[in-house]
Amino acid sequence: MSDATEQIAVPPPRDRAHERAPASREVHSSAASAPLLEVRDLRVRFHQADRCIAAVDGLSYPLCAGKTLAIIGESGSGKTVSCRALMGLLPQTASVTGSVLLEGMPLLALKESEWRRQRGRKIAMVFQDAARSLNPTMRVGQQITEAIRQHQGVDAAKARARAIDLLDLLRVPDPQQRFLAYPHELSGGMRQRVMIAIAVSGNPQVLISDEATRSLDAITQAETLKLLQDLQRQFGMALIMTSHDLKLASHIADDVLVMYAGRAVERVPRGHLFSRARMRYTRALLDASPHIERPPHTPFPVVPGQPPDLAALPPGCAFEPRCASARELCKLSRPPLEEHERGHWWACWHPCQDSELV
Amino acid sequence: MAIDSTAETLKLATLPAPSRPRRHPLRWACSADIAVPLAMLSIILAGLLLPALYAMPEPVGGNILDADQPLLSPGHLLGTDANGNDILSRLLHGGRTSLLIAITVNLFGLLAGGSLGAMSAYLGGVADTIIMRVLDVLIAFPSLILVLAIARALEPGALDTIWALTFFSVPAFARIARAATLRLREQPFMVAAGLSGTGTWRVLARHIAPNIFPQLATFGLLGIGIAINIEGAVSFLGLGIPLPQPSWGNMIYQGQMTLSARPSLVLLPGMLLFVTVLSFNLLSEALRARWARQ
Amino acid sequence: MRTPISLLQSFGHSRRAAGLRPSPGLRLAAHRGLVAIPVLFGVTLLTFFVLDLLPGSAARQLLGADATPEQVAALEVRLGLNRPARERYLHWLTGAVTGDLGKSIASNQPVTALVAERLPVTVELVALAFALSLALSVPAALFAAHRPNRLVDRLTMLLSMGGLSMPSYVLAPVLVLIFSVNLTLFPSIGFKPPSAGVLENLHSLVLPTVAIALPLLCFYTRFLRGDVVEQMNGEDYVVTAVAKGIGPWRVLVRHALRNSLFGLLTLVGLNFGALIGGTVIVERIFALPGLGQLLLQAINTRDAPIVQAIVLLLAVVTVLANLCVDLLYAALDPRIRYGDR
Repeated sequence: MSDATEQIAVPPPRDRAHERAPASREVHSSAASAPLLEVRDLRVRFHQADRCIAAVDGLSYPLCAGKTLAIIGESGSGKTVSCRALMGLLPQTASVTGSVLLEGMPLLALKESEWRRQRGRKIAMVFQDAARSLNPTMRVGQQITEAIRQHQGVDAAKARARAIDLLDLLRVPDPQQRFLAYPHELSGGMRQRVMIAIAVSGNPQVLISDEATRSLDAITQAETLKLLQDLQRQFGMALIMTSHDLKLASHIADDVLVMYAGRAVERVPRGHLFSRARMRYTRALLDASPHIERPPHTPFPVVPGQPPDLAALPPGCAFEPRCASARELCKLSRPPLEEHERGHWWACWHPCQDSELV
Repeated sequence: MAIDSTAETLKLATLPAPSRPRRHPLRWACSADIAVPLAMLSIILAGLLLPALYAMPEPVGGNILDADQPLLSPGHLLGTDANGNDILSRLLHGGRTSLLIAITVNLFGLLAGGSLGAMSAYLGGVADTIIMRVLDVLIAFPSLILVLAIARALEPGALDTIWALTFFSVPAFARIARAATLRLREQPFMVAAGLSGTGTWRVLARHIAPNIFPQLATFGLLGIGIAINIEGAVSFLGLGIPLPQPSWGNMIYQGQMTLSARPSLVLLPGMLLFVTVLSFNLLSEALRARWARQ
Repeated sequence: MRTPISLLQSFGHSRRAAGLRPSPGLRLAAHRGLVAIPVLFGVTLLTFFVLDLLPGSAARQLLGADATPEQVAALEVRLGLNRPARERYLHWLTGAVTGDLGKSIASNQPVTALVAERLPVTVELVALAFALSLALSVPAALFAAHRPNRLVDRLTMLLSMGGLSMPSYVLAPVLVLIFSVNLTLFPSIGFKPPSAGVLENLHSLVLPTVAIALPLLCFYTRFLRGDVVEQMNGEDYVVTAVAKGIGPWRVLVRHALRNSLFGLLTLVGLNFGALIGGTVIVERIFALPGLGQLLLQAINTRDAPIVQAIVLLLAVVTVLANLCVDLLYAALDPRIRYGDR
């Protein structure tokens, strides 16, 4: 597709123990030698009648056990599509290239019958809108036990007990009653917990949360995130969460990956996100998000223009048309995602200088 | 098993598209699902016009001495029936009658019923409720019975069959037009038109009509098939087009009595009817799929 | 042809949006029941006046073509046919409400008895046809929906379209030709009541049942396949189900089909009433002593009481069928049962 200069650097397998942010967290002893999940040069293309949409255009990242990666991007940045690719949930019309290794096993080459063994058991997903993502005519308990019996092959009574335990773990009040409820009888937060219960029922190693808190109010959002964190610790999972909200991501992520137009443009450890984000787009995102210290009635620094047409990506940097600091080179050549500082990768020909950082 | 994450594709589809080269307007007709039924219908229609161009024996008034000629007899391609009438000629004339009735009924239904339904939905209020109740009654009515009753009472013939069938075609179109208009009313551009003070008639003509037309048209095609079937049924029961004037329905009725001896008397009109209705159905279906995609 | 269903459903939605009440489904059903009464009233009124306005007279039919006008008039007085229309209708209505549907003009027998005699045959026929078509359409639709737009699917849809396009008076003779004349498997005419043996009874009904069931089967298959495919493609809960790692058949049956059955239910309900009236042709062809034959005779002889009684019956059946569908919806669809929040 973009036959322009392919200069994506494949991250060499190396020690990922980078500096930690002041807010302390448990550090897993297995500060990974080899990552649990490794995505290399993932490309997803949708072929329509007369054009080809590059939804994901060369995405690479590692993910270690017990760690949390937040993928941030606008709508259309490719974050959801890339997550679906990890689950094998893309339609037949999508062509997926690159490699995704889960514990060394390549996922993309799997046949549908083999995928079924992976889904839910090794890698699971929590979806966004629980109201639509749950079968409205099936009791939630049955939807959870269906997942449990699929993964663990136990009988109905045991599955039911486990499901209720899970609901209890997820701090659902009165789990026995809730077990028998239908999705529309539950509140948004409860429904989301059911989704999470379904996802973790198979004890997956990687849990993907695809904007799982988007439809929730602020307080419920915070609660749900905390739950995810606790679960992660308890089950020892690696967590990928996608969002368009940087603030949210920074709360629980170890690393933040920013995507734009199907490409990863910056990968930064949590502690550096606000203070040391280099790529222009990340900067723009940060500047555009409202925060309390902003003096009132000052104009919002909105990024001009529109995201690019994914069917006709420019040869150079995808953000170039909207970037205030763009130069000739940015138009001609796509900047590679490279590790410029320890644990901090970015793809920009003219990143923010130290003097520009807040 | 394919999962089509429509949400994703939809999201992608809303991104700004590059300008596409203009397609030839009739290219849509070239795809198989439309072309095949269209071709079949063209053949049938061409065949039905044959008597006008090519001298054929009359469908009625045949010589009794000529009766029961088998297929491929000299002068009678498909043979003759028990009264000596040429079957091919009867098939073609009968088809013309059936098709004319069906098309007239649906055209009238589309225009009258469509307008009624659209107006009813657009105006709303008491008028709408009353019209809806009346339509409910008509639709709750076992249609065939009323058609039969009317057909029995009146002088049997084409005109009265049309009248009887329209009785049910109009409410059906009205229902569809009403539902479509209601859905349309919620759209932003309709609200805008209302706010800008556009007159009722103008709104109906300019905005509503072109938008509900595709649905009405696809139903119309389906309705032609239905009308052909019902007309055939009525004629089959002896209440529609009176013998000796041919119609596919009454030809089948005639042939019933000698089914085992001469099956072709039933099969020929039957198959012709089947193929015609099938073509209309296929066409309607293809157009519906086409328009739904837009 | 989903307009009736979506109309019904949107009706239900607006009802629910109006507010939470205990068992809103039952309220809906009750409301529809109440609305049905004026509809029934309207139907009978319409029938009466149409029959009345149409030219021709029952009395003349009875006496034959060469009766003198005096004889006809005398008979009309005797039968009470000369009274004003309004009076006659009210007379009939009061009778009908109390269960007395009058007497047949032609045979002077009580209408209720005549109808009751013919009804079981028609009902049995329709019931068998429904059972057959539903039993076959569900697996057919699932097989087609399993791999949408592939060979099995396209073939099934094409065949269904063919089956839909063939009216009963074309299909029945074809069936008779193949199975009766050539293969002599089934009788071409005649009906054996259950009292003559259940197998005998069913044997005599095979061809008529197939003649009615085939178009129904095709219709349901098309509808169900469309609905299931729509669910599988467009609904998020299907993605969740697949993400659990469960197999395609299970997703199809346990999730998509479950939700599609509601639509099918509505369709069946809508069809039921229409079908009881629509057996006329099949009964005629196969010489079954059912309601349709009776109706045809009554129309031919201008026997108004019978026609009215049958029309009323059909209208009642239609209304009841719709009501049953609503009740079933209320019982099965949890969204309606407990109300949306």
